Amino acid sequence: MSLDLKNNEKIWVLALVLFVITAVVALLLGLTNQLTADKIAERQELELTEARQAVMPDADAFTKVEGSFDETVSEVYAATKGGETVGYCVSVNPNGFGGPIGMVVGVSLDNTVEGVTITSLSETPGLGSKAQDEAFYGQYVGKQADSPLAVIKSGSPADNEIVAISGATITSAAVTNGVNTAVETAKSLK
Amino acid sequence: MIELLLLALTTILVDNFVLVKFLGCCPFLGVSKKVETAVGMSLAVTFVMTVASMATYLVQYYILVPLGIEYMQTVAFILVIAVLVQFVEMVLQKFTPALYNALGIYLPLITTNCAVLGVALLNIQNQFNFIYSTVYGFAAGLSFMLAIVLFAGVRERLETSDIPEWLQGFPIALITAGLIAMAFLGFSGMKF
Amino acid sequence: MKEFTKGLLKENPTFVLLLGMCPTLAVTTSVANGIGMGLSATVVLILSNLVVSLVRKFVPNKIRIASYIVIIAGFVTMIDLFLQAYVPALSKSLGLFIPLIVVNCIILARAEAFASKNSPIPSMLDGAGMGLGFTFALALIGSIREILGAGTWFGISLFGAGFQPATILILPPGAFLILGLLIGCVKLLQKKGEKAKQ
Repeated sequence: MSLDLKNNEKIWVLALVLFVITAVVALLLGLTNQLTADKIAERQELELTEARQAVMPDADAFTKVEGSFDETVSEVYAATKGGETVGYCVSVNPNGFGGPIGMVVGVSLDNTVEGVTITSLSETPGLGSKAQDEAFYGQYVGKQADSPLAVIKSGSPADNEIVAISGATITSAAVTNGVNTAVETAKSLK
Repeated sequence: MIELLLLALTTILVDNFVLVKFLGCCPFLGVSKKVETAVGMSLAVTFVMTVASMATYLVQYYILVPLGIEYMQTVAFILVIAVLVQFVEMVLQKFTPALYNALGIYLPLITTNCAVLGVALLNIQNQFNFIYSTVYGFAAGLSFMLAIVLFAGVRERLETSDIPEWLQGFPIALITAGLIAMAFLGFSGMKF
Repeated sequence: MKEFTKGLLKENPTFVLLLGMCPTLAVTTSVANGIGMGLSATVVLILSNLVVSLVRKFVPNKIRIASYIVIIAGFVTMIDLFLQAYVPALSKSLGLFIPLIVVNCIILARAEAFASKNSPIPSMLDGAGMGLGFTFALALIGSIREILGAGTWFGISLFGAGFQPATILILPPGAFLILGLLIGCVKLLQKKGEKAKQ
């Protein structure tokens, strides 16, 4: 505060100084944004491609399918191999215990679940969050889902049954719902 | 209408801003020694949060998005909130000196209350429309009020309790907050 | 040098000055999150302290706080964009709390209490010390909560399958409980230290 304060505190001086600071900050942010915008978009795209690849390991290309689906379905991609459709990747967001669960489900043409990836969830840590463990979502892989899959609390599951995460029945049911919705969506496209 | 009511109830009980989302912890721990001051603070916060939700909504969709400078969001929002707090302070001082005397000392603190900036950012993240944003801001303010008033009630009693010396003051306050948070955990998973 | 070391223990922002409670409580569900948050805040602290110190003679007193907030918000947005571009996993798990570094009281408090009165080099050291003290506190709380609440450390399972973790500790109440007990312990140690001196 070495400058003369009285002179310094006229309203237009204040406005000007604040304006200059904001302008410099805005300029720098603009530059940063230029540097990072492409990278961020690329990352997001890559993440989704990877998720699709993970649930449809056989496919080599994906094309977006337009249409009207169940309201929890956000995107559908057709998975192709050598130009022929082998199945569908459905992004679905069923309602869990702590909010929507983001997941991508791969369904082949004969209604077999090829893979499930959880992309986002806000379930209870330590309980519902175990849905992200392969021990749970791995159960869906290879299930033939002509009729909807069901959740059981314990015991050995039959062909169309899934064992719930202990202490997180709602989450388990939500993920199963998501898979069933995905299969229905894939069926409707054939 | 029903949906708005449910959104408000969920925000106040299930996703309580302070006890579940940890937004606004500084004033929650700092201004909660007496129920009286807690009520004053939370009234001021609720008011600013409601108005800030409306103002930042307008800034986002009528200034930042049309200009394509969404990355200025944080800077713009914090400035809007700072200006708003200043403005509220001046209006109160001019027209309702009684209210100003009651709330005045809390107002400058609100700018750096992360619940206010938090609600503004959450409105955008959840893609709420104008009405939803306003209701969400108001309900978030009420959730802050509920938490801090409950907490202050317990803290007043702590003053006279026999507590081990090393836990006196801040530590026991935090542990109390933990117990209240545990009670609120009972609401989790309730989907109205 | 004193500027640097005081933030680590003697004036530790979390345990002694009791600043920046929101991120401390919110992101310490795992040690990795705690460290990520701590380091992001440290970078913002160093840069904002430097710039505030550089412009301290040109900024009129009345708009001092407003200017500091704009400077801090600018740096926070930069960090936010960089994390989104290069460390997306961290950006996802810290979420809303990255933009909220703007209103972290530690940063504004250091700008106002230290950087606005001191030259650039000590200001940067002060920022670095405070930031690392904050990081240390977050890492400690994160470790305790993750080890006891999930049975893992940096995501690596420690006790094998038979261990029943105390899940409550990684839920919101656990944050309050652990922080309360830790601050109590710090008080206890301070008392012991004073007695030893006498």
